[in-house]
Amino acid sequence: MKLLEIVEVLRTKKAKQIAYGVLILLIIVDFFIPRHEVHFFGEEIPGFWSLFGFIACVLIIVVSKWIGHLGLMQHENYYDEGDV
Amino acid sequence: MEFVHPSAFYLIGGLLIPLLKGRVRQGYMLLIALLAFFAVVNMPHGTFGVYEFLDWKLTFGNVDKLSKVFAYIFAIMGVIGVIYSIHVKNDGEQLAAFYYVGGSLGVTLAGDFLSLFLFWEMMAFSSVFLVWFRKSKSSVHAGFRYLLWHVAGGLILLAGIILQYSLSGDLTVQYSPFHGWWPSDPQSLASFLILIGLIVNAAVPPFGAWLPDAYPAATVTGAVFMSAFTTKTAVYALIRICAGSEILIVLGVVMAIYGVVYAVLENDARRLLAYHIISQVGYMVAGVGLGTQMAINGVVAHAFCHILYKSLLFMGTGSVLYMTGTAKLTELGGLYKTMPRTMIYTVIGGLSISAFPLFSGFVSKSMTVTAFGEAHLTWAFMALMLASAGTFLHTGLKVPYFIWFGKDQGIKAKEPPWNMELAMIIGSLFCIGLGVFYKPLYALLPYSVHFEPYTAYHIWETLQILLFTQLGFFLLLKKLWCENMISLDTDWFPRKSAKAFMWFTNKPLANLEYNVIGEIYEFIIQKPIMRVAVYLKKIDTVVVDGTINGIGKFAMACSRKMQKIQSGQIQHYAMLMIAGVIAVIIIVMVLP
Repeated sequence: MKLLEIVEVLRTKKAKQIAYGVLILLIIVDFFIPRHEVHFFGEEIPGFWSLFGFIACVLIIVVSKWIGHLGLMQHENYYDEGDV
Repeated sequence: MEFVHPSAFYLIGGLLIPLLKGRVRQGYMLLIALLAFFAVVNMPHGTFGVYEFLDWKLTFGNVDKLSKVFAYIFAIMGVIGVIYSIHVKNDGEQLAAFYYVGGSLGVTLAGDFLSLFLFWEMMAFSSVFLVWFRKSKSSVHAGFRYLLWHVAGGLILLAGIILQYSLSGDLTVQYSPFHGWWPSDPQSLASFLILIGLIVNAAVPPFGAWLPDAYPAATVTGAVFMSAFTTKTAVYALIRICAGSEILIVLGVVMAIYGVVYAVLENDARRLLAYHIISQVGYMVAGVGLGTQMAINGVVAHAFCHILYKSLLFMGTGSVLYMTGTAKLTELGGLYKTMPRTMIYTVIGGLSISAFPLFSGFVSKSMTVTAFGEAHLTWAFMALMLASAGTFLHTGLKVPYFIWFGKDQGIKAKEPPWNMELAMIIGSLFCIGLGVFYKPLYALLPYSVHFEPYTAYHIWETLQILLFTQLGFFLLLKKLWCENMISLDTDWFPRKSAKAFMWFTNKPLANLEYNVIGEIYEFIIQKPIMRVAVYLKKIDTVVVDGTINGIGKFAMACSRKMQKIQSGQIQHYAMLMIAGVIAVIIIVMVLP
């Protein structure tokens, strides 16, 4: 099946290298993108949203997991205990 | 064009479902959904279906641009939902879904608060059956909790409606925003109560815990319906009644982030998606709070697209649950070999919710977020951007990765039945179609649109955020690995306090009652009373009875004496009477 082959190609090392290339290209091209309406200072900095996306992702994962392990996460039968 | 209420098809037509079987039943159900859709298409603008009931004027058909666009999407979703669930043989479940869809169309077109409330409650009481028909113990429990939340919310809404009516004497659904943080006078209290009643259904924290509790507990097909209607009906009502209530900006932004945080922790794919409903509805609630024309347009467009991509995501994960028996990410993995087509549909839903260019979310979410940029609310703008990264992280990456790739669990599964797949194909076509041909959607929006989503900067901004989120995802994949746990939400408070209450009544209170209060009662009240009773008995026998007996004996003695006088002969009585008369005369004459 064609679909499976595409998926297998996407899982190779080469695909990964291309993906990194795309990320670098994203930032480079951002230097030449015209800005029409600027809502705040960050929008004028080339590559700002790249950094924002990456930091946002890391922050969301790290902070959420930290909050979760503070006691928000419980085992699955948490509410069933002490059923009367 | 004549106005035919689209709910009528679902509410009246639905009643025949139990009488039909097989292909006829399936065709009939689809026909009803299509007829309701055409009824919406043919709705002219204006006010219809006005009835006098007691002293009130009920308006069932209030059609303007706002109600029509919501009626459109609810009717489209009705068709998709019916196709997805057409194989379900349980009559009750089908009826519940029909009344649920009919209820939401009824709310959308309601012109007065009374009929709005009627349909509002119909939605709650029909959708709970979509949870109960899963028939597991945990679903029954979740259904009861769901119902309790909605009954509570409904009563708050009713209180607001009654107060509003007593102040204005008018039941028309009208614009009454709530300003400030706390009600200060009766009118603002009425607006406040209505707002609270509405945001319970919009799943705004801390009143939103019912959503991730009930939706994953619902049936495979029921969750698809539920993901579409309740929260978006609430968003519609919020736009109509509460637009511009500043408190909603804060609540909405908090909601958007809150859903993302919980989605990180979640292991059940459908519960993860449920938290992302909260996150996405957060954009809408915040936009309603901002209340500018652009924000309202953005909210309506986003609700429209959201219903389509979120139901598509629920259909995809529902298919996985249906075919493998689980929706837990820790138990899934490697399904790309056996369910690749379902994967494609789900990924299309994931790219749409993440607002990828050429997918539906891109043309709707950006409008709402840009409205915040233009209003110079930079903090809200940045927070919503952050939530966008989180959305892609979970729905676009985490869910597909852990179901279709991740650790291959070697699960033998097949693609779902034809009707489920057909519904997913239709949903996918809508998601891509709206992303590319967005003009028809923009034409349906309540205000004229001055917004162009496909500018170079906007496309590039989005691509940077999303692709660098993807980089973060793969770098932190180990940390993101799912854990087979649940996360406590705000329903911890009612659930634990209910448990604590039951424990308290069953253990300490029962003990107290039985052992302590019982004993105390016996010593302090029962025993002294017995003693007093014994004493009183003595008084009774000696004093009271003695007195009565004494009087009796005296009376007996007197009567014996009297007996002697009573001879029974008339001449004796006459003589006695004359003697008496003489005695009286003497006394009168002798005494001066």
